Parts: sequence; structure tokens; C-alpha cells
Amino acid sequence: MTSTSLPDSLIATLPGSSYKDPGIFAQEQEHIFETMWFCAVRSSELTKPGAFRTVEVGRESILITRARDNSVRAFFNVCRHRGAKLRTEESGEVKRAFQCPYHAWTYDLDGRLVAAPNLTKMPDVGRTEFGLVSVATREWLGYVWVCLAENPPSFEDDVVGEVVGRLGDAESIEHYDIGGLAVGKRIVYDVKANWKLIIENFMECYHCATIHPELTEVLPEFADGYAAQYYVGHGAEFGAEVQGFTVDGSEGLDRIPGVSDDQDRRYYAITVKPQVFINLVPDHVIFHRMYPVAVDRTIVECDWLYLPNVVESGKDVSRSVELFDRVNRQDFDACERTQPGMSSRMYAKGGVLVPSEHHIGAFHDWVNRRLGAPRP
Amino acid sequence: MIPACRLADLPRGEAHRLDTDPPVSVFHTDEGELFAIDDTCTHQDASLADGWLEGCEVECPLHASKFDLRTGAVDSPPAKLAVRTHEVVVEEGVIQVRLSAAAPNPPPCVAARLAGGPG
Repeated sequence: MTSTSLPDSLIATLPGSSYKDPGIFAQEQEHIFETMWFCAVRSSELTKPGAFRTVEVGRESILITRARDNSVRAFFNVCRHRGAKLRTEESGEVKRAFQCPYHAWTYDLDGRLVAAPNLTKMPDVGRTEFGLVSVATREWLGYVWVCLAENPPSFEDDVVGEVVGRLGDAESIEHYDIGGLAVGKRIVYDVKANWKLIIENFMECYHCATIHPELTEVLPEFADGYAAQYYVGHGAEFGAEVQGFTVDGSEGLDRIPGVSDDQDRRYYAITVKPQVFINLVPDHVIFHRMYPVAVDRTIVECDWLYLPNVVESGKDVSRSVELFDRVNRQDFDACERTQPGMSSRMYAKGGVLVPSEHHIGAFHDWVNRRLGAPRP
Repeated sequence: MIPACRLADLPRGEAHRLDTDPPVSVFHTDEGELFAIDDTCTHQDASLADGWLEGCEVECPLHASKFDLRTGAVDSPPAKLAVRTHEVVVEEGVIQVRLSAAAPNPPPCVAARLAGGPG
């Protein structure tokens, strides 16, 4: 079956190889994750100068920290001398410097080479020139975003623009003051599926009535399969009997003060390509970041963000966490169920998208353009 | 006496390294005192002027042994031997150092180089 023979209702997906070929994944690492803005860590995790996190961005390990002036810095986690990995832990804290454990080349929090054995005998070794190689950073929505490209694309166009494309303007998301919210819960999912299956899943709601009974109860219009990210500026309305965005529809937490009346009792979902999903509801924000680590494995770090006083006072957020935790597990189970099929000879040319999924075709076109292979 | 630099050019909390043989560094502490010691850690060839100055101590930037600027004594391994201390005076706004006559304690590789071996 070829795409040209498909009935009008259907369009083709990417071929199976796109989801299982390590060579294609390597191209995606290079041309997508190592080129675009990548949402790396929550700013509040970097509590003070010297606090750091290491993250895998594409095929690179990146060290993210705060300098003495509290500004965020990101560097390739690679010693300039012989290439040893500076820090292997996921997070930690240094007092004043990053020191390579191999030959003790020592870099300050700005990345400058401040000391090394025999360094004074090598006055021609520039301390900035041989400092850690830095990576572009931006802070937005309370997260540190990094870009490994030598000439990073416009953050406003690529990142803010995605949110504007979904919500219709840049102000709507500011109402939720995401940077000012506190992390009430973080769950990390280790998903045995290609990152694109997870994005595609998040983009459509054709599956909602089948695998998300709790979500469909809270957002009845999801049962028609069209909602999710189809209409610009549209947020799915809570059911009439629903009090809050919780697993049983019971009352939620304190409403975020900036949320407008027309945003109240509604759910908005945003995909910021290539690896961020944001869900907005009146009393909290669910913020997903994907870290694709292999062609068939993706780590998803998900934060539930509430007003700081909700988190500090120890209010019970479990029913609101449980709703989307269940949704996530239902979704990721579906993605893991799909991953083996990508290698079936039956799926070599891929599958099909129904009309309520046709907008996923634009995502596929985008992937192909990034890899330099226009859709045939 | 060896002129180091103008006092006005050495802010508190900083060090100035003299390219003598062996090199010497002058430290201006946060409390405003001046001290001069041998610049090279006695454990491995590292410049103490690049180290971390706290109170009257400087911590080697490589392996964290701390030297007392007043006595040259080291607090803990890996360095085991003290550095020499040198007299400091300020004359007409210029920091001057009078080198110690004692024998230095250079680290092994520097000692080998001074003795003509590989270094």
C-alpha cells in the first residue's frame, strides 16, 4: 500500500524505520535536539552558585550551574584537556570550581580555566580560550533552556512562537505565572518508546475515550476525539458536575490569581517542539520535558506546579497529581505497546492518520524538513 | 628587596605573583593584611596565587591543602611540607618583598627540574 492509494480520509504516517532506526535517531539528535532550544532543568533546582545539574541534550552531556552573580551558565561537560567527563552525577553542588578528576584541570563557575598542574609554566595557554565551552541559555517559565547550536535560532520565534501558535497570543500563558509556581510533585517516567510516538500521542485525542476514562470524565468533549491541540486558543471545558482537575473531579487547589475568567474551568495543552508539553488548568500547571536517550527509549520528567503557598502549607495535591499521572501511564503504556510494531515488516511503510489526527502530518513534515528530507 | 606592585593595584582578596625563581606571591587579605609566601604548592606544581584566599589561609586550587599565610604551615595532605614566608613592607605605596634565606620546599617535579632532571 502506498500513500497515493489512500482514501481521502487517511494520510500516511512516517515509515516504521523512522521510529526504530538508530541512524535516523542519530540524525534527529544532531539536527533537532542539538540544534534547537531544549528545556533542560527547573531554575529552582539550581538553588545557589555552584549548584549544578547534568543533562543529556542530544548526544552531548551538558553541565548547568549558577555563577557567583547567580546567573545561569551551561557548558559542555567535557574537560578541555583530555576530554574526561567533569561531573558524572545527575545533580550536586561545588563550592567554587569544577575540577576534572583526571588531571585536576580546574574551572571556575564562569567556565574559566583557573588552575592546572604546571599551568604557570605554560603562560601561552589562554585561560578563557581553554575554559569550558559554553552553551547558550535562556530562562523562561521558570525553566532553563539551552541551545547547543553555534548560532541559536530566535527563542521568541521557536519557543514563544509555539505557545502563541497554540494559545493565540503570548499573554495567555503569562496569566499562569509558571515561573513563580513551586514544584509540588515530580515524577520521572522511563518510557521504552521513540520520542515521536510520545509527541504524536500528546497531539491527538482520538485515543482519549478508549484509554483515558478519568480524563474524559473531567473533560467530556475529549470523548469526540477532536479536542487536544486542534483549535487555536481553544481550551477544553470541564464537565458541568466537575469541581476541579482531579482524578475524581473533586475540588482542586487554590486558583492561580492571574488566570482569567475565560480560562477558568478549562484545560489547555501545548506542545513546544521538540520536547516540551505544557498543560494549563486553573489551579496548576503540568510541565513535561522529554529526554530522548535512544531510538526506543525516552525519559520524561514531569512537574506538577502549584502556587508556592499550596506547596509550602503541605496541602494534599495527590488527587490532582493522580489524574495526570494516570493519563501519563495510560499514554506511555500505549506508546510502549506501539514501539515493537515499528519493527514489523507489516509496518515498514507506516500506518495511517484519521482526520482528527491529520495535524500530526504537519509534525511529520517538520521532522522531515529538519532532517533535510522533504516528504515525497 | 624586590618590588612587587603598587598597593593600590592589589585589591583585598587578591594575590600578585612574582615571576622569581622560585616564584613568590603576595596576598592582600580581606582584612587588609599583606603576606608573601612561595607561590608553588609543595605537593604538585600549582600556583597558590590561583588558589582560594580565606582569612589568613590560601587553599591550593588543585588538591585543597591549605597554607597559613602567617607561618607557611600546611593544614592537611596531600601537601606535607610548609611553604616559606617572606617579609613584606610597603614603601611609598609600593609593596616590597624581602626574600627568605631559608631553603624552599618545591614539589617533586620542580625539585627534579632544579636538579637538572626531567621536569
